[in-house]
Amino acid sequence: MSAGLAGDGAARGARRVVITGIGPVSSIGIGAERFARGLAEARSGVRPITAFDTAGFAHTNGCEVADFDPAARLARLDPDSVGRAAQFAAAAAGLALRDAGVDPARLAQVPGLISVGTTDGESQDLDRLTELCVRGGLDELPPRLVRRVPSSWLSASVAHEFGLRDVEAVTLPTACAAGNYAIGYAYDVLSLGEAEYALCGGADAMCRKTFAGFYRLGTIAPTACAPFDVDRRGILTGEGSGMLFIEPYESAVRRGAHIYAEILGYGLSCDARHPVAPDRSSIVECMRRAHRNSAVRPEQIDLISAHGTGTKANDLTEAAAVREVFADAAPPTVSIKSMIGHSMGAASALSAIACAVAVDRGFIPPTINHVSTDPECGLDCVPNTARRADLRIVQNNAFAFGGNNAIVLFGRCDERTPAREVAAA
Amino acid sequence: MNVLSEDQRQQITDIVVGILEIDPAELTDESLFKEDHDADSLRAIEILAALEREFKVEINQAELARMVNLQGIYQVIAEYTGNRA
Repeated sequence: MSAGLAGDGAARGARRVVITGIGPVSSIGIGAERFARGLAEARSGVRPITAFDTAGFAHTNGCEVADFDPAARLARLDPDSVGRAAQFAAAAAGLALRDAGVDPARLAQVPGLISVGTTDGESQDLDRLTELCVRGGLDELPPRLVRRVPSSWLSASVAHEFGLRDVEAVTLPTACAAGNYAIGYAYDVLSLGEAEYALCGGADAMCRKTFAGFYRLGTIAPTACAPFDVDRRGILTGEGSGMLFIEPYESAVRRGAHIYAEILGYGLSCDARHPVAPDRSSIVECMRRAHRNSAVRPEQIDLISAHGTGTKANDLTEAAAVREVFADAAPPTVSIKSMIGHSMGAASALSAIACAVAVDRGFIPPTINHVSTDPECGLDCVPNTARRADLRIVQNNAFAFGGNNAIVLFGRCDERTPAREVAAA
Repeated sequence: MNVLSEDQRQQITDIVVGILEIDPAELTDESLFKEDHDADSLRAIEILAALEREFKVEINQAELARMVNLQGIYQVIAEYTGNRA
C-alpha cells in the first residue's frame, strides 16, 4: 500500500472525513485549549528527566508530561491495569471525545475504529521488568506488570475506557511515523464507509531504552532541541499522546459540530534502506504520493509541520526533500518538537493536532530555540514566535527508523468551499 | 604515542570480527569496514561502544571518521589509553 485505500483524489463515492475533536496530552499542556495556547505562546516542555535514573548520562533533559494524574483522567479503566502509554491514549481519547461533544454511550451503537500508533508500546514497563529479571530472575516478575506489556493495550484501553464493543482496535507499531499511519488508516476506513467514527493518533511514554539508544547514536541534545538551526545538537526524548476524533463530513454537519479541518489524504513509503538514516528520495516519493492522494499541488500548501527532529541528518535530508518537491517555493516549515521534544509514536499525532489548531485558529506554531538557520536547510522555520497566517492546506511530515515515512494532508473545511474543491480548482 | 601490545590488537580484532560477523581471515589492518566489509554507521557505533567497554575509555564520536579500519582504531585506542595514563 502506498497511499490511501480510498484511491487518489477522492475516488467517486468516497466520503469526506473531518476532524471534530482533539485530545492532546503533551509536555506543554493537556487538552485542546492548553496545548493550543502552548503552541501560540512558544512554550517549552523541557525539564530534567525523572522517569528513570539518569546516572551515567552526561545529558539528562527530556520533555515529560509532568502533571498527568491517571486516576483523575480515567473513569472506567483501572489505571494500574495498564501502562503509562495506554493511560495516555485513553485519557487523550477522552479529551478528544469531550472536545467533539460526543457522548461515548451513543458511540457504542455504531461501528467505529480505534487506531493508535506507537514506537515503544509500554517499554518503560519492560525497562522495569528487565531490571527485576537481571536482579532476581524470572520468578521475580510481578504478573500484574507483565500483563501490561502487550502494546495492543494502547488501542484496547480506549475501547475499555468508553465501553466501545463494535470497534476494530488496532495498534500500529510504525515507530516515529506511527501517528500518521494511524490517522491515514482511519481516514481510509471512514472514507470507504466501513466505520462511522474513529479515534486515531499515537501514544508513547518516556523510557530508558529509547533514551539510551538515541544517546548511544550521539543524537541526544545536551539541553535544548533546535531544529533547522546551524548549531542543532539532536533530539530531546518526550512522551504523551495525541488522539483525534474524526467522522464523515455529513455526520459532523448533522451534529452541528465544530470542524477543525478536513483530512485530504495521505502517502506512505517504506524504503528499508538503512536502520536509522532517512532517505531523501523515499521522502520525496512519500510527499508526492500524499499530494496525489489528496489531489493537491505543492504550490497550494501553506505550511509544513516537519518531522524536524533536530538531528543533523534528519533536518538536512528533510529540508532537501522539501526543496526538491516544492522547487524554490517551500512554505513555512516548522517543528513543534522544539517545544514538546520527540514524543515518538505520539509525535506525528500531536503534530497533526497542531496542524488542526493552526488551520482552525489561523496561526503558525513557531520553531523555538532558534538562533541561526542552517543555510544548508534553507527553510523559513518561523523562528521563536508564532505567526498569524491564513492557512488553507497544511502538510504533516513523519519519518521513522527503518525508512517508514507517512505524510498526511489537512485542509480548512469551509461549508461553502470544501477543501477538496479548493484543491482541485 | 602509546603503542598497543599484541594482546590489545587481538582484543580489537576480536571485537571487530564479532560485530561485523566476518571471517578473521578476511580482515586486514588496512581493509575498510564500510567499503570492504559491508559495515554501516550503526555497526561503527557498535564497534565504538564495545571498544569503550573493553578499554574503559570514552571515545568522542568524531573519532569515527578515523576508525574506518583496524589501523585507524589502533591509533585512536593508543591515543585514548595513552591519554588516560
